[in-house]
Amino acid sequence: MEAFADFWATYSTLIFTVGIHALLALSLWLTLSCGLLSLANAAFMGIGAYTAALLTLHLHWPFPMVLAAGALAPAAVALVIGAPTLRLSGVYLAMATLAFGEVTRILVLNLEITGGPEGLNGIPLLTTWWHIVLILAAAGYALARLRRSRMGRAFEAIREDEVAARMMGIDVEGHKLAAFTLGAVLAGLAGALNAHSTFFISPREYGFENAVDILTMTILGGISSLIGPVLGATILTLLPELLRFLHAYRLAVNGLILIGVVLFLPTGLWDSRRLRQLVGAWRTRREGKP
Amino acid sequence: MNRATKHLLFAAAGLLAVSAMAGDLKIGVAEALTGGAAQYGVPIRNGFQLAADEINAKGGINGNKLVLVIEDEQGKKEEAINVFKKLIFQDKVLMIFGPTLSNSMFAAGPVANAAKVVAFGTSNTANGISEMGPYIFRNSVMESDVLPVTVSTAVKHYKIKKVAVIYGNDDAFTKSGYDVFKKVLEDQKIPVTTTETYVKGDVDFKAQLTKIKATNPDAVICSGLAEEAATLMVQARGLGLKVPFIGGNGFNSPKLFEVSKTAGEGTFVGSPWANTNPTPANQHFVEAYRAKYGSEPNQFAAQAFDAMTIAAAALKTIKVTGNLANDREALHAALPKVALSGATGPFKFRQSVGKDGKPAGYDADQKPFIYVIRDGKFVLFTGK
Amino acid sequence: MLEQQLVNALTLGSVYALFSLGFTLVFGVLEVINLSHGAMFMAGSFAAMTVVTRFKAPLAVGILAAMLVSGLLGLAIDALILKRLRARHAPHLIPMIATIGATTVLTSAAQGLFGVEVQRFPDELLSTREFIFGSVHVRALELAIVGIAFLLMTTLFLVLRHTRQGRALRAIAESPKAAALLGVNVEGLFMATSFTAAALGGVAGLLIGLNFNSVTPLMGQPILHKGIAVVILGGMGDIRGALFGGLFLGFAEVLSKAYLSSQMGDAVAFGLLFLILLVRPAGLFGRVLERKA
Repeated sequence: MEAFADFWATYSTLIFTVGIHALLALSLWLTLSCGLLSLANAAFMGIGAYTAALLTLHLHWPFPMVLAAGALAPAAVALVIGAPTLRLSGVYLAMATLAFGEVTRILVLNLEITGGPEGLNGIPLLTTWWHIVLILAAAGYALARLRRSRMGRAFEAIREDEVAARMMGIDVEGHKLAAFTLGAVLAGLAGALNAHSTFFISPREYGFENAVDILTMTILGGISSLIGPVLGATILTLLPELLRFLHAYRLAVNGLILIGVVLFLPTGLWDSRRLRQLVGAWRTRREGKP
Repeated sequence: MNRATKHLLFAAAGLLAVSAMAGDLKIGVAEALTGGAAQYGVPIRNGFQLAADEINAKGGINGNKLVLVIEDEQGKKEEAINVFKKLIFQDKVLMIFGPTLSNSMFAAGPVANAAKVVAFGTSNTANGISEMGPYIFRNSVMESDVLPVTVSTAVKHYKIKKVAVIYGNDDAFTKSGYDVFKKVLEDQKIPVTTTETYVKGDVDFKAQLTKIKATNPDAVICSGLAEEAATLMVQARGLGLKVPFIGGNGFNSPKLFEVSKTAGEGTFVGSPWANTNPTPANQHFVEAYRAKYGSEPNQFAAQAFDAMTIAAAALKTIKVTGNLANDREALHAALPKVALSGATGPFKFRQSVGKDGKPAGYDADQKPFIYVIRDGKFVLFTGK
Repeated sequence: MLEQQLVNALTLGSVYALFSLGFTLVFGVLEVINLSHGAMFMAGSFAAMTVVTRFKAPLAVGILAAMLVSGLLGLAIDALILKRLRARHAPHLIPMIATIGATTVLTSAAQGLFGVEVQRFPDELLSTREFIFGSVHVRALELAIVGIAFLLMTTLFLVLRHTRQGRALRAIAESPKAAALLGVNVEGLFMATSFTAAALGGVAGLLIGLNFNSVTPLMGQPILHKGIAVVILGGMGDIRGALFGGLFLGFAEVLSKAYLSSQMGDAVAFGLLFLILLVRPAGLFGRVLERKA
């Protein structure tokens, strides 16, 4: 029992971080499933985190309300900038969302109310493990249902061929905005949860590097199913811990893994189709069929 | 859990068992050894290592060896928390030195505090650190103790009537330095012609410096780290801005001269440490550091060195029983009583008051030295 | 003050333009956002610095070293990674991510090899010569950077427009398949482009590292962010766009720091980028990537 208590004391933050990164990866998956490469999710996470933290610190709202606010605030921002931004596509959308992220970060850096570079400190530890598990499970379930719904299929159609989707009568702009905004909701939730599990937040945590990290996790895991992003988030969060003995070189290993996956496993680690093929091939060999 | 982790845990357990038997004193060191803050974290670690090696060479503390458990917190707050937890719960250290950045201490300090383990920062100078709790210690002299003296000395010497201010606004360290400067200037009734900012990593300051030059100040006050400060001074001279600079804690590094050469002449800096301070303790430190690491030490290394000496002094007075909780508490009780003279001069602790009004952690109670840069070197300012 | 600020803007803008030339070249020809360009920049700076300090070679050798080392690194990234992704017709996102991985590897290696402290060039190389025109001060090295940026842009532009290789490159940019059918050595030119672009980045690294006398493993990152903004502003793949986008960004930054507030410099730069993307996504000179049938 003592061993478990020690293990949990040592690693609980790490496990929380895995859950939060999984949530972020799923938020990015959602936008990618509609064909949108948005690098704004780190900024949305930041907006959610700061909104939630400020509400807790200054207005002492109960935690569930704080979480809700943390989810809705970035959604509001997404709705506002979404309409003009989503007219762009591909690389240009990525760059526009990146620029938006930087502007947000700089604004937060310079505002008095957000504490500037010193950030917000002394945020009470309100997040517990079941918050994260519950929210992650709920998000996973909701996304799985979404995939099979009309909206999900519309997303897929838009991702495959936007022109054709439009010709079939799908409201492309509306769906893109929905995907973008829902992604912001998830990212904001992740931010609010994170803020209440580490005492302290600062603008540095929501910048370009973080957006790139989230993207890496999602792509690493593979976007063909919901398991991919979660797997990618888990691996990339735990890997530095496991590689601690490599000291300075563990970042290099991260980079090498990224290159390796891109080159040799382009659909990501968890690819349903490839897995079905593998399982099928294994079965065939076992049963001795030609 | 995969094999690698299992192996690592086994090895850690094995090491624990062995070290417990040997009566070693395990001290955790959590510093930024990679990433953007590594330029501070690495010299800090060096300072600790140097001190610990010297102590061990002389027979250790009451016959017990000092063992440093060194972890890289990468200058990231999540890592700092993870590393603190590992050191406290897995490695079961007696106390922790670090982390490097104030931001990281804000995140990880409460973890140590809740676990009743001393967290001793040597490079955290932001406001509000020791207020977090009674287990938070630091020997990094706060800007609020140094800057008033620096400013008044410079003002008197140069007969300054008005100043311009420039600072790095995206770093807790330089920003709180600026907050202190602002208050000092108000207290000493010195008008500010303009306040400019820059971002860490910036290398081009000409826009801000041109603006400053146009307002005709008698001096420029700069709260920045040595890197940017040096480049600032060079670019200022390049633009024809000839007035002297007044620097905060960050100026205190030999790096300053590598870039600024003559551009820094006449700069006033207050600091707890300078490599030219002639006391025997300091000269010994500087030479030993040079010999071991092949480079000049900086303020961070010096404060780390002294911190280890302080901790060793406290350890000497306690009886290590082998009961971890008791030993940690004994160390926590012994530490505030230490007073000594190290590379940074005479030192003792001063307790601060927390947000709830109760006594909290401990800050450094040290007088700053005022230095002026002459001929590319820090020279102790004696009033001439 | 205004004249000095305008000169400041010119020099800063040229720094950005110099960095972005190679960056935009890769995008224009290979259609890859090569986020390892920052690492090329850094590698060139380190290569030159090592050669000049360790082997006491003159600056000219340093420049060659910068070009060679960066160029070879760029070539390696192309041959080992990008080439395979091209063969697979991977969507644009994928090579970009791979270059992120390459950057991490290279910056870690640099930190491992050179340590984390900021490195400097030796004193003899740092010319403090400066020119004073009235109230305006400008250093010789800064003028050199401005000159070299313009020179390189013009040279590249002329090469692309008037030489055979240049025409071949433009053909490839239009349609690699058609170019191949016309007998253009597509792969060879891709690799040559990667080498050249990286070499340009390396030279930029040397010059800028020299100008600010600061060489660190992470020096490529902040300027990469700016480079992205420049290339978008100027139009991706367009050489003139790199220069004018760089100047535009330099002016926006300097003038907003001078007349608004020094805190808003970066916010203005990225804010402008955001607005311009909304209004004219192709940038000043670019053409929007058409979907190829």
